[in-house]
Amino acid sequence: MTTYILRRLIQTVGLLFILSVILFTLVNAAPGGPITAYAGRRPRPEQVERLKRQFGLDQPLPLQYVYWLVGNDWTKIDTDGDGIQDEPGARKGILRGDFGFSYRTRQPVLDEIAKRLPNTVTLMGITMFVALAIAIPLGIYSAIKQYSLFDFFATTFSFAGQAVPEFWLGLLLIIVFYAWLKNPVTGEPLLPSGGISSLDGGFSLSDRLAHLVLPVLTGTLGWIAWYSRFLRSSLLEILPLNYLKSARARGLTERKVIFKHALSNAMIPIVTLIALDLPYIFTGAVLIESIFAWPGMGRLYYQAAVDRDYPLLLAVLIIGAAFIILCNLVADTLYAYLDPRVRYE
Amino acid sequence: MFTKKRTLLFLTFMVILSLTLVACGATPAPTTATDEPTAPSSEKSITIVIAEDPPTFNPMVADTGYDSLVMELVLLGMADIDPNGNVFPELAAELPTVENGGVTIDEEAGTMSVTWTMRDDIQWSDSTPVTADDVLFTWAAISDPVNGLWIPGIDYIDSVEQLSKYSFVVNYNAVYPGYLTQFGGEQLAIWPAHYCNLEQGFVAWDCGREPLSDGPFVLHDWIEGDHMTFHKNDKYYLAPKPEIDQVIVQIVPDDAVRKTMMLNGDADIDMWINANTAKDLEGSEGAKVSLSPTDRWLMRLYINLAEKGTVDSAATPHPILSDVNVRKAIRSAIDVDTIVNEIFHGLATPHWTEFFRPPYQCAVPRPAFDPEAAKAALESAGWKDTDGDGVRECRGCTTGAPDGYKMEMEFITYAEFGEPLELTQQLIAEMLGEIGIQMNITVVEGSILWDQAENGGIEQSGNFDVDIWDDGYAGVDPTDYIWELYSEEALVPGGGNNVMRYDNPEVDALIDEAYTLDEASRKETFCKIADILNEDVPIVYLFTTPNLEAYSARLVGVQSSVNDLVTWNIADWTLK
Repeated sequence: MTTYILRRLIQTVGLLFILSVILFTLVNAAPGGPITAYAGRRPRPEQVERLKRQFGLDQPLPLQYVYWLVGNDWTKIDTDGDGIQDEPGARKGILRGDFGFSYRTRQPVLDEIAKRLPNTVTLMGITMFVALAIAIPLGIYSAIKQYSLFDFFATTFSFAGQAVPEFWLGLLLIIVFYAWLKNPVTGEPLLPSGGISSLDGGFSLSDRLAHLVLPVLTGTLGWIAWYSRFLRSSLLEILPLNYLKSARARGLTERKVIFKHALSNAMIPIVTLIALDLPYIFTGAVLIESIFAWPGMGRLYYQAAVDRDYPLLLAVLIIGAAFIILCNLVADTLYAYLDPRVRYE
Repeated sequence: MFTKKRTLLFLTFMVILSLTLVACGATPAPTTATDEPTAPSSEKSITIVIAEDPPTFNPMVADTGYDSLVMELVLLGMADIDPNGNVFPELAAELPTVENGGVTIDEEAGTMSVTWTMRDDIQWSDSTPVTADDVLFTWAAISDPVNGLWIPGIDYIDSVEQLSKYSFVVNYNAVYPGYLTQFGGEQLAIWPAHYCNLEQGFVAWDCGREPLSDGPFVLHDWIEGDHMTFHKNDKYYLAPKPEIDQVIVQIVPDDAVRKTMMLNGDADIDMWINANTAKDLEGSEGAKVSLSPTDRWLMRLYINLAEKGTVDSAATPHPILSDVNVRKAIRSAIDVDTIVNEIFHGLATPHWTEFFRPPYQCAVPRPAFDPEAAKAALESAGWKDTDGDGVRECRGCTTGAPDGYKMEMEFITYAEFGEPLELTQQLIAEMLGEIGIQMNITVVEGSILWDQAENGGIEQSGNFDVDIWDDGYAGVDPTDYIWELYSEEALVPGGGNNVMRYDNPEVDALIDEAYTLDEASRKETFCKIADILNEDVPIVYLFTTPNLEAYSARLVGVQSSVNDLVTWNIADWTLK
């Protein structure tokens, strides 16, 4: 197993390198460069030249990639546009942890990410937890009571959950819980429309939780449907198997048969799914964060894409890609741990 | 595996973990300015909702508009412009003019010098006086070849010299009519020399995100992506203004949510609302809409006089649009009033010349909407529908197009404006379809439409037939804007914005004449240009859209402006 993990980690490095080339090329090949985004609709040529120098876009694309990867502090560059390469560069490159500066704010990219990441981890982590806490019992009960009234409603709910667009549901919840329903005591809206906390006061746990209700509710619906359907199907495949019949024949209670013998096998694909969904905790959800004014990674990424903020965009993409690859590795490893039939030798 | 006890333990652990995340994870460190402003009274607090964070307080860096909005709260320039286009002094004791001796012109050399005298009663929020040192520091930062930026008119400045603690002179190598707002307006503020670090560079210095204030408010905290809080500046030179104690700028990306907050009374300003939102707010007791008294953005059709994909209208004229009669027919076929009323709910004004803003308003006769006359003009120009498919072909046309060449063109717009422009584009395509011109519509991102030619920018590389978008000049001086749009020198890709590839030596000569400080003479020159453009039709002007800002009914003094952001006069706002 250790050899397998080591081999996968080495493969990850190679994969990330290939990905970095592809992502860098694709981002730079996208039509519409960053200059028009930062120099107004119709910039003057002098303005264009200056910005290109400041952004490092005055170099050929392969050299831009090399500078992005390993930095340019080992060579001299032309900083003032006189055509003479007279100053050593200041960039260290992503391999040394320097993802450059954001074109939009001129601040280090990692600082920008660090400000947003905790918010996204909070929102998406709690959303995933709530989704699982509801989806697992829902899936189990639906499978045990297949074709019952409960199963019918759960199935309908699941399909609705997957079909309802998040932006529509989010706005609907805001209209109902923010615009229509009021707190009978204070007359204030029942729930806030967005943000991470109220602006007029210090820290309050109840205030933080109140701000989480609507975005978490919007985010969980799709995930509940997703996980509960998978668990239901997985359980339904296992329930008729002979080893469960023999367990029942040995006199085990139905509860033990389900929870000890059936569920432990049915959960294997679910655990894999969860591991594969973990990157969302880093990347966030653009729509939910936008509707509920949640300052997270999704909005940061979207803004970077709209603004052609290449360094920020590439940093989110490459870190996100690394996280996805890592979560895949975790999923594969867990699979081997949970299913004795799977062995990586 | 799943005993009750274990499940309970697991759930308890997860709940505790969630609460810990809520309590700790989502508490970004606020950015706090170095000084301690007045403690606010919650009774006099207002909330401005905007779609995204300002990148910095320096609008020169990214020009998003949100940066100008917050700059107006904390920083002053030498002079600013009101909604009617009148320039008024801020740091300046008075506006320099030829009459008061502040401007001297060397007719022979074609140069001018502008002497600014500053007020001596303005100080930064740390009690340091605002002096000419700060102006020279700001100029040094802007003109730095490494970290500086291009600003309008920068090429005309030879030097900036300090005369005394509170005065300085700007030496120009030409007569530059836009000199009054060059060190002010919506984009440029004067920065504190003793506080900002020149070494960090104009574009990236820390004071751009944690500014010292000489404006009506002081930044208190900034939680990125969430909100900014400003407190009243006790040292503001117009004290006891502002009346408002606290301004919260809240980031709310979704426009529907911002509108709901306005209706719910939780927001006091929602800037740059569109016509649909303004319509929705009609009749609301709590929210009102402020319209700018003059407009800036003139919606127009840019017509490519050169063949699509080329940039020389003389060598490779457009097979359809190089005939002025075709261009006039297109203009006659568009029912601007219907667009204004049906799509913009009457919140737009028909205009048919570039010169519609005071003080340079020209009386150009309005072209008639007459589709029948347009059809007749196309027939006379040799464009006839002989095969009966509804699209005209060249049958004796004079543009050099081969016989049978279809009157079919690509019609482009940009996506960011939103639904009203896309509907306008569709409606115009239908109107032109009625007279036998088939327009195939395309919607692209603005950055693709306006990018440089070497990056494949559609306009600059001439890769279009007709496109539609809104354009206009900042401030009150259109001279550079007119030069960049219509002059022969601006024809070359990257040289300017003459993407129509319009070349008229008479217009070039008139543009040169416009570089004078004599307003009456300038107006006469501009109106001559307006008449020529009305005949040549390199652009079909349609209508202007005002700036629309939603504001709460409890707020008094809000006035939208096309010359600045809505916060241009925030020091004068009061609460009912």
